[in-house]
Amino acid sequence: MSNFAMLFRGFSVVFTFQNIAVCLLGAILGLIVGAMPGIGSLAGVALLLPLTYKFNPTTAIILLGSLYYSNMYGGSFSAILLNIPGDSPAVMTMLDGYPMAKKKKRPGQALFTANLASFVGGTIGMIILTFLGPGLANVGLHFGPQDMTALLLVAMTSIGWLVGKNPTQGVILTMLGILLACIGMDPQTGAPRYNFGNMYLMGGIPFVPFVIGTVGFSQVLRLMSERNDKVDEDKMVKQKLTIRGSMLTGHDVKRLLPPAIRSGVLGTFVGVLPGAGATTGAFLGYAMNKAFKSEEPFGTGAIEGIASCEAANNAAAAGAFAPLLALGIPGSGTGAVLLGGLMMWGLNPGPLLFTNNPDFAWGLIASLFLANLLTLMISIGVIPFLIKILTVPVKVIIPVVLVICMVGSYANTYSMYGVVVMIIAGLVSYICEKSGYSTAPMLLSFVLAPLLENNMRKAFITSQGSVGIFFTSPISCAFMVILFAIVLTPIIRGIIASSKKKKEA
Amino acid sequence: MKKVFLFVLIAALMLPLFANGNGESAGSSAGFAPTKDITWYCTSKPGGGSDIYTRAISDSAVANGWLSKAPLINYKTDGAGEVGRNEVANTKQNADYTLLTFNSGDLMPMVANTPNRIKNFTPIAIMATDKQLLFINPEKAKYKTFADALAAAKAGTQVVIAGSKGDDLELYGMLIKELGLKENQIAYITNDSTADAITSGLGGHVDLVMSKPAAASEYVKAGMLVPVLALSDSRFAGDLASAPTLHEVDAQYNDVELPVWRGIVGPAAMSEEAAKFYSDLAKKVSESKEWIEGYLEKNSLKSSFMDYKEAKAYMEKYEADYLKKIGK
Repeated sequence: MSNFAMLFRGFSVVFTFQNIAVCLLGAILGLIVGAMPGIGSLAGVALLLPLTYKFNPTTAIILLGSLYYSNMYGGSFSAILLNIPGDSPAVMTMLDGYPMAKKKKRPGQALFTANLASFVGGTIGMIILTFLGPGLANVGLHFGPQDMTALLLVAMTSIGWLVGKNPTQGVILTMLGILLACIGMDPQTGAPRYNFGNMYLMGGIPFVPFVIGTVGFSQVLRLMSERNDKVDEDKMVKQKLTIRGSMLTGHDVKRLLPPAIRSGVLGTFVGVLPGAGATTGAFLGYAMNKAFKSEEPFGTGAIEGIASCEAANNAAAAGAFAPLLALGIPGSGTGAVLLGGLMMWGLNPGPLLFTNNPDFAWGLIASLFLANLLTLMISIGVIPFLIKILTVPVKVIIPVVLVICMVGSYANTYSMYGVVVMIIAGLVSYICEKSGYSTAPMLLSFVLAPLLENNMRKAFITSQGSVGIFFTSPISCAFMVILFAIVLTPIIRGIIASSKKKKEA
Repeated sequence: MKKVFLFVLIAALMLPLFANGNGESAGSSAGFAPTKDITWYCTSKPGGGSDIYTRAISDSAVANGWLSKAPLINYKTDGAGEVGRNEVANTKQNADYTLLTFNSGDLMPMVANTPNRIKNFTPIAIMATDKQLLFINPEKAKYKTFADALAAAKAGTQVVIAGSKGDDLELYGMLIKELGLKENQIAYITNDSTADAITSGLGGHVDLVMSKPAAASEYVKAGMLVPVLALSDSRFAGDLASAPTLHEVDAQYNDVELPVWRGIVGPAAMSEEAAKFYSDLAKKVSESKEWIEGYLEKNSLKSSFMDYKEAKAYMEKYEADYLKKIGK
């Protein structure tokens, strides 16, 4: 119960005019930064950090914490409306969000779903963080490289659901994604790989420009080619631009809640794991909920699909604070910047932070609750304005999206290299899609492959090359069982089905 | 409304492009004084170790009025930093207004993987040096001292060290060479950062963790990490004094160390007057209260200031030694 008392003490720290104002500012900035493709929470926090030098540490972390947190909301806006993810966790939101907005003509509801699911996921994450924070961080520590490898292998199988009608094509693009992820420095020896003597390639292919190109720029190309086919104006969304018109029905909310709650719990846990982060959280949340019943199939604009990844990434963002505050271990790049901030403000992040600076640690947690609520209200309030984007004619959308793609790629890498990557990725994926290849498997394998490689190689160093390590540790053994179950079920089902057929014949 | 919205959207997106301001700066040295903005390249991400170091120098210089305006920090992380280093090396115009944060962890991959060398830069100063230690997790470690771990490795049980990339990896190579052991006897896991290495140590997934004092200090205070070997020619002070050097562990070995230095360089085309100006500025910073208390002490670094002439000789020798070692 003492944690509960501490949380209230945290609220008493937060509820000063200055801190609430700063929290609101952080929430608004986070939404803007998240909605702009390319400028994710990492850049947002890093850009704001120098401005907080002179702040008192609690106010400063409230600003940055709420920015980081509300960023998870903003990322889904452009994913749903423009099919361009605002940040990397939103890649998954795009899979259902855009179809729901475009094909089902329910953009307001899609945004509402994303916001509400984010709120639910985030709240679950924060409650878990409040009561289990330090203990949870220790659970995360038990995850060694072999356990992470097994977890990521399970995650990898979900690519199978995204390959579409033609499995061969799906496998080809999955492999392409893995191959592209291999470019850069070898994670263990530091030797350059597949860089062909090119200095830029030595650092690998930057993720955000790659995603913006694959999804955003290729869509610009598609819109341009479709323009000649005369898009009829009826296709355009005609929806009342009011909050009421964007409201979810009771039935929608019923569909939303179960996946959001499941994802909330899972996402929090993923956020706590070292080096996993919100993107992996969104990915796993989506994969897990796919195994449950949904009214519509995932990937066709299902409310469940949006809810499962949005809730997971917000929960993961909250969960990531557990190792950061309890142990001084950053779970993500943004966490590392926040950690740098703590040092700058004169605090010593580490295992003693909760003991030495309770006002700071609990103030931050309390401010997350406040930021969650503020962001929900703001983001629901702006829905009517946001969906106006869909009524903008294609001839205007094309140049605007093109500019967003360019600026986003540049802003993410501070370099024209990002823009070049974006353009090439866009051209390649346009050609792929024209030939009937879906690019989703490539994106997802590109995200997961580096994590998998790194953890697998670490595991093999510890085990001196023996595969046994994946079965001797209880955590990884459990994941391996799940993995085999997932992989073997369809095969066994197939055998049973064919033997039945034989009998019948 | 639509137009207004679009305009605001575009304007907001364009904003970062105009973030670089203009302004005049005035200096204090007789030969050269900056009259334009200084661009300071940093090849790591905002918030990283190199960024904090760069900002600490720039903040002290501005706070004491030695620079009227903070340099513009340009984060160039492309190609694991090589693109930024190459750009600075080839800067001809504005060479007197271009600086680069440069440390030994940058030098090693640069000369190993690219044709870029120290001769393409003008060394300006070395500000501080840092050394590593090996730590154990007292709760979960199989070996309580480095001597125990060493005995186990010799007896055929693999011992695993976790550390960061760059200079840590290099130092590990030096350590097993001195011990006369192979990579399968004492193995090394490369992590993206020391924080990741410490995480795996706290989880008990590795036997030893390599870290510099700053990253480990809070864990040592909390009793979650215990130093067991000083990778230095003498013991560390304070909390870390309990760790013996390698020679103390076993007199048949020499001490192993790889002092990691943090410096500043400019392009090769930088004039000597400018190099002297920045070198003098760095010296003043290195003696300032902000630097000593706010940076060195906080990060347990040793001050080891070298001016532009000493830094040049030191970096060149370091490069030559390293090239010889990797057989290039």
